[in-house]
Amino acid sequence: MNWILLATIAALLIPIYEAWQDENIWQTMLAFSSIASKTSIMILIVSVLRDDWTLGVVGVIILSVGNAALMLLAHIIRRTNEL
Amino acid sequence: MIDTLSYLCIGVGIFFWFWGTLPLVGDRSVLFKLHSLSVADTLGSMSIVVGLLLKIPREWPLLVLALISLAIWNTVLGYVLAYCSSGGGD
Amino acid sequence: MSEQLYIIPIVLLLPLTGCMLVLQVNPYHALVIRGIFGAIAALVYVLFGAADVALTEALVGTMLSITLYAVAVRSSLSLRVGAIEDQLKAHTARELLSVLRATFSKHHLRLEIVPYTNLLAMQAALRAKEIHCSYVLSEPGGSPSPPGGGSRYDIQTRVSRLYEIMQAEVPPTKAYLRYIDLANPDKSTEVPIPEAMEGKS
Repeated sequence: MNWILLATIAALLIPIYEAWQDENIWQTMLAFSSIASKTSIMILIVSVLRDDWTLGVVGVIILSVGNAALMLLAHIIRRTNEL
Repeated sequence: MIDTLSYLCIGVGIFFWFWGTLPLVGDRSVLFKLHSLSVADTLGSMSIVVGLLLKIPREWPLLVLALISLAIWNTVLGYVLAYCSSGGGD
Repeated sequence: MSEQLYIIPIVLLLPLTGCMLVLQVNPYHALVIRGIFGAIAALVYVLFGAADVALTEALVGTMLSITLYAVAVRSSLSLRVGAIEDQLKAHTARELLSVLRATFSKHHLRLEIVPYTNLLAMQAALRAKEIHCSYVLSEPGGSPSPPGGGSRYDIQTRVSRLYEIMQAEVPPTKAYLRYIDLANPDKSTEVPIPEAMEGKS
């Protein structure tokens, strides 16, 4: 199972690099949404790897709530660009 | 047999992740990147979760919940991001 | 030992995103990167078995604090500019505003236009610290008109830093800058008028 996590870390580095070279706030937001879903899937992988029920619950909650936070943030940033 | 199938699912999911994320680095428009990200990334994540489900069927309520929230939330988030980044329809 | 193979690179991501967050200058980009940092921090906490800490980081550290900070940054990084209502639609006023917007977007400031019905109300608002600066169309007899004959604006500000920024960036053919020191009115400065224009007036 180790190689799976190493591969996901490699996939996680791509959006981090994208967020580092800032051009447009929306490109950074895309990188953030990608990272948020990737980290919660990684939490699920770890929970299955260790056969731990609690970690799995936390992973699912982060997966659903992180997306809601992203929508809130997207609307606030849209309002700032309007004026 | 089941073990091989689950590894296959996870491998396909990671391949989809790379496929969806690599266009993020280029100089394309936000909507193009959003399209590849929301389609390939969500499919990859769902395939990984299905692989995990085959590996440990005991945790099925959790993983099914993860599948549903991935499918619904990521679709809605794609629409919201597209709406917000294109100026909000005014 | 085999477990440490994936723990070490994941933990290394945390200082990496932390450095990205500290080195970021744009406040809005920094907010989004704070979200990325929070997501990775939650992952690290889960790796060490602290599920409750990870949940708190995701709910409070990422969701609540970013939303609150976004609202705070949006409302504090704004520059209130007073203007007379009748002059808002003019072509030259829009030109001036676009120059001002370009100037202050370098400093991540957002322009907020506050319309007033007459000059007296606007002056009172400036003195009451309701607005940071104001602009009016120059009177024909007042400050000298530019050589091209186009209309020029009087910009008054009560913040000395804004005066310095505008003095460096706004071309004198477009506007006539004046700094008003509210604490001691004697020290209020005016831009030295270029000699060529002084001869014309």
